[in-house]
Amino acid sequence: MASRVLTIVLAVALTLSLFVLLGSYTQSYMLPGNHQGYEPVQPIAYSHRLHAGELGIACLHCHSAAEKGKYAGIPSANVCMNCHKFITAPWLEVKAEEDRATKEGRKPQLVVSPEIQKLYDAFAVTAEMKPISTREPKPIEWVKVHNLPDFVYFNHSAHVNAGVECQTCHGEVQTMERVRQVNDLSMGWCVNCHRQVNQEGVKGKKVYASTDCVTCHY
Amino acid sequence: MAEKNDTILLDRAADELPPVQGVNRRDFLKLAGFTFGGALLAGCQPAKVEKAIPFLIQPEELTPGVATWYATTCAGCSAGCGVLAKNRDGRPIKLEGNPDHPISKGGLCAIGQATLLGLYDSQRLMSPLANGKAATWDEVDRRVAEQLDRIKKNGGAVRFLTGTVTSPTTEALIRRFLGMFKDGKHIQYDALSASAILDAHEKTHGVRVLPQYRFDRADVLVSFDADFLGTWISPVEFTAGYCEKRSLQGQPPSFSYHAQIESRVSLTGSNADERICRSPVEINIMITQLAKAIAAKAGITTAGTPTDSTVSRLAEKLWSARRRSLVLSGINGLAIQIAVNFINHLLDNYGTTIEIERPSHQKQGNDRELKALLDELKSGSVAAIFIHGCNPVYDLPDGQNLADWLKKTPMVVSLTDRLDETAEVSTMVCAEPHALETWSDAEPVTGVLTIMQPLIQPFGSTRPFTESLAAWMGEKLSAHELLQKEWERTHFKRQTEKRSFKDFWGDAVKQGFATVQSKPLSSRPFNLDAAWNALRESTGIASTELALVLYPTMTMHDGRHAHNPWLHELPDPVTKIVWDNYASLSRKTAEALQLEEGDVVRIEAEGKSLDVPVHIQPGQDDKTVAVALGYGRKGTDRFTNIGPQWLEAKPTVAAGSCVGTNAAPMLAWNNSMLTYDISNVRLTRTGQTHPFASTQDHHSLHVPPHLAPVDGKRRPIIQETTFAAYAADPSSGSFEKAEVVSLWGDPHKYHGYHWGIVIDLTACTGCSACVVSCQAENNIPIVGKDEVSRSRELTWIRVDRYYDESDGTFSVAHQPMMCHHCDNAPCETVCPVLATVHSEEGLNQQVYNRCVGTRYCSNNCPYKVRRFNWFQYEHGDERQRLVLNPDITVRDRGVMEKCTFCVQRIQEAKIAAKRDGVPLKDGDIQPACAQSCPAKAIVFGDMNDPNSELVKRIKDPRHYRVLEELGIRPSVGYLTLVRNREGEGA
Repeated sequence: MASRVLTIVLAVALTLSLFVLLGSYTQSYMLPGNHQGYEPVQPIAYSHRLHAGELGIACLHCHSAAEKGKYAGIPSANVCMNCHKFITAPWLEVKAEEDRATKEGRKPQLVVSPEIQKLYDAFAVTAEMKPISTREPKPIEWVKVHNLPDFVYFNHSAHVNAGVECQTCHGEVQTMERVRQVNDLSMGWCVNCHRQVNQEGVKGKKVYASTDCVTCHY
Repeated sequence: MAEKNDTILLDRAADELPPVQGVNRRDFLKLAGFTFGGALLAGCQPAKVEKAIPFLIQPEELTPGVATWYATTCAGCSAGCGVLAKNRDGRPIKLEGNPDHPISKGGLCAIGQATLLGLYDSQRLMSPLANGKAATWDEVDRRVAEQLDRIKKNGGAVRFLTGTVTSPTTEALIRRFLGMFKDGKHIQYDALSASAILDAHEKTHGVRVLPQYRFDRADVLVSFDADFLGTWISPVEFTAGYCEKRSLQGQPPSFSYHAQIESRVSLTGSNADERICRSPVEINIMITQLAKAIAAKAGITTAGTPTDSTVSRLAEKLWSARRRSLVLSGINGLAIQIAVNFINHLLDNYGTTIEIERPSHQKQGNDRELKALLDELKSGSVAAIFIHGCNPVYDLPDGQNLADWLKKTPMVVSLTDRLDETAEVSTMVCAEPHALETWSDAEPVTGVLTIMQPLIQPFGSTRPFTESLAAWMGEKLSAHELLQKEWERTHFKRQTEKRSFKDFWGDAVKQGFATVQSKPLSSRPFNLDAAWNALRESTGIASTELALVLYPTMTMHDGRHAHNPWLHELPDPVTKIVWDNYASLSRKTAEALQLEEGDVVRIEAEGKSLDVPVHIQPGQDDKTVAVALGYGRKGTDRFTNIGPQWLEAKPTVAAGSCVGTNAAPMLAWNNSMLTYDISNVRLTRTGQTHPFASTQDHHSLHVPPHLAPVDGKRRPIIQETTFAAYAADPSSGSFEKAEVVSLWGDPHKYHGYHWGIVIDLTACTGCSACVVSCQAENNIPIVGKDEVSRSRELTWIRVDRYYDESDGTFSVAHQPMMCHHCDNAPCETVCPVLATVHSEEGLNQQVYNRCVGTRYCSNNCPYKVRRFNWFQYEHGDERQRLVLNPDITVRDRGVMEKCTFCVQRIQEAKIAAKRDGVPLKDGDIQPACAQSCPAKAIVFGDMNDPNSELVKRIKDPRHYRVLEELGIRPSVGYLTLVRNREGEGA
């Protein structure tokens, strides 16, 4: 008898799991560890669409380490401050306040966007760049979007210097309000590109991308 | 009893279960399906949130993920080798030799490599102690100041006891500090004393100095028990010089001759052309005889020819190489050292192979002053003693008494980095930072100033020695400021090249050293009378009793590295035993005393005794028992549970004891000199046994007849020849090329690079620096003694050591062995999951994430260089894990690993070359083993580059490959071992 109960329980469980599996198949076929489409909420609602797209700031302006080393790196907060020392809010909001001030015949107030305020908080300064003695400066804890397993060694500089566009792997980041993982970053996807560029080159330039295991695994 | 109960319980449990009817196929499939479905579901989890935290303000010179290199100086011993430290994200992760350094010339020994791990030791002191309790620096300073004020007012002896101080800044500070008192004195001592050499020069040359030995100028070298390649004074410097004279370069090739007279088998002895095995007393007699024989040749005495034919032969060789020879002795006896000076003087070696005008500062200890201090302490006449850079309670023969005397002394201040034996009996303990955390300097040899700089924000609340001293003199200056001030005041004037101090200092910090001028030291003409008196004194009488020889090992040194597990797990270069010290005996003596390997014996001499296990050592003198110093340090029981803890795990250290036994209490004083040879000892068996863990259990190249290959008694593994035979025919000693029958078709073709290594067995001394270097570079875990005894050590490179006693003489060969990256790799063909495959550059790749752990590859590897992760190994505690190299995967349980030729360095160099648009140059890539080799024995390069150093070596007639006859086409080759001895060669 016990064996029959077990069979029923197992059968139900198996059917359920198959349902779930099939469900996920229909939406997207994903292997474990594949986080394609991952789009985590960041501590500051930084918009790549605004900076890279609308304002046209080059990727390497902030992610300068991508040319030099393994990691593209998330820019340190002092890079943000190069501009945001002066730019405290979107231009339209500043303009609106100025208009209001002229109308009311007073000096315009400093407009600080709540997101940029978070940057000042990290530095423990006011929007006027005065240090707040009661607070400690604290680095910003961004959430990593593109995660490779620990046994993979990807080198940004090798790819950037070979002329590979950032968008080839990261997608059209300049259109994203919040960064999303576009590609699955699986080994097959990497190897396909390595094979392809050996045939076609990168931007018309002949390149050689090895498909040896030790290119990435050591 | 407990076991029996368990069995009964289990039986009962089995009775109560319903009978198992076996799982039928349907059930199995159901279960399997369920498990599979569950696993897939589990896999579809949302991504784990990982944070990326950039700097708030990033330092300009720092790019995350890109290493920065800083030049500094090794503090592992007082030799002062130059180091380049690799810094990643604010922490040093690898030390390498500084190729430009005038002393070490790019090499770095095993100890030097391993000092890195000491930085991350969580048992280091993190704050000062007062009366054994944690205190603040203010409290310590206040109490020291109170006591010092009292002494200034009432008088009293202030003593400073240190190891050899090579730092001129530290020395100047100590001098200034002691100047504040009427009776202040600085005493230096070395636990591995060379005091007799300095004293002898005071007698013969009128200056108490340690001369600089120039091995790079010595064609004939006779060493009496001086282990200069392993432990004596400055091994890396000496190895570099020694190998320069044995490079076989030039036309016609030249080669030095090295005779080693010793009673145990030292690393140096194992490399000698002629190794003469004598008991300590016989060595003393031999030196006296040699002195007389040389004197006869010089025509200043008419003594007849010596009775010992060896002596006359050596005298002949030395005399024919006047001004190009060198006689050394590591024995700490005044008369002996004077005799050695006498020989060198008659051979006209002063000024060529021995430089006395620009002396070395690497050993400055003075045993007589130490003895006087001990007497003072005993009588209780010292008011305050400061102890720094030494551990006298542990390493002196009267350590236990000294502890009592120190307890009686009103103020004992220990300046140290851990709570050692001496700090335990101190009133005040000032926690010092690690050498990689602070500013300091050294002048190891006159005219070479080297800089030590901090590479990490210090852990805890420690304070550098110089800062403490300055604070007690009322100066609030940092170590950096003190150093700069001293350099500006003293050393800037010693050079003329740099106009501004800023340039001088900046360049010194960048390079890691500065060369400055110094006035040549003037010494008195040689004092022949002193020499004659000494020779009369030092006639010993040969004894038939056993003598005890206490010697340092290349890993523990004087015991200061006993908390470093990398060094404990590094096999002794000769015995290959790890995690222990032991009493080495010759087979004959052991048989006579009915002792076997591992039997614990009690060694008794002069009312003192020591219990140690016996190790039977081929090549050892029959009247000598040798025990290593530096073991038995307090606190080493911390290693009890090192390595994987599983059902059958045995502890590395027996509960409540230490790693090894402290042999220092057996040391003796002889004429106020620390003596390391103790005559007339008695051995008795205690009945206990102690197992050893050794990385090698086959010791001879001569295979027992039942295992021998069909056509020979000797495996073609080490090619040997003599220099005479080599000079006549450079390919002498080569094995007959075996006919290679291959199952593989065409050889692999390599269109780009084809990496390879050639190791010169003539240069390799077996010092094992490469092993620790590899361990640090490649995140190789410590496995503990028990796992080593199960042959599960994980080192990617090992140094095989073979004894050869076939022709009546005893000789040793060392052979570094790592993955040979065979073209037709046997491991690759047997891997069922393609986890080990061939790269287009000739590398045999091991893919961890593919490996399922069948271990077929390891079984099929003829070199036995593959290592399996039997466990999930701990890489120490949280702090110790900071030493891990982020460019290398930390391997998981169940995967195979092995030497990669440091592929991470190959990739880095290739990417950098591509980025800069320049071709990769020969020598741009150096694997960790090759980089640290003090002998430059390992050469890595591209076999497809006809101009590379590697290809030059492959074309050398000495080149051969091990087990070539298997047709596996290895990428690692060796160069024949050449020895300068009589005979035809192997």
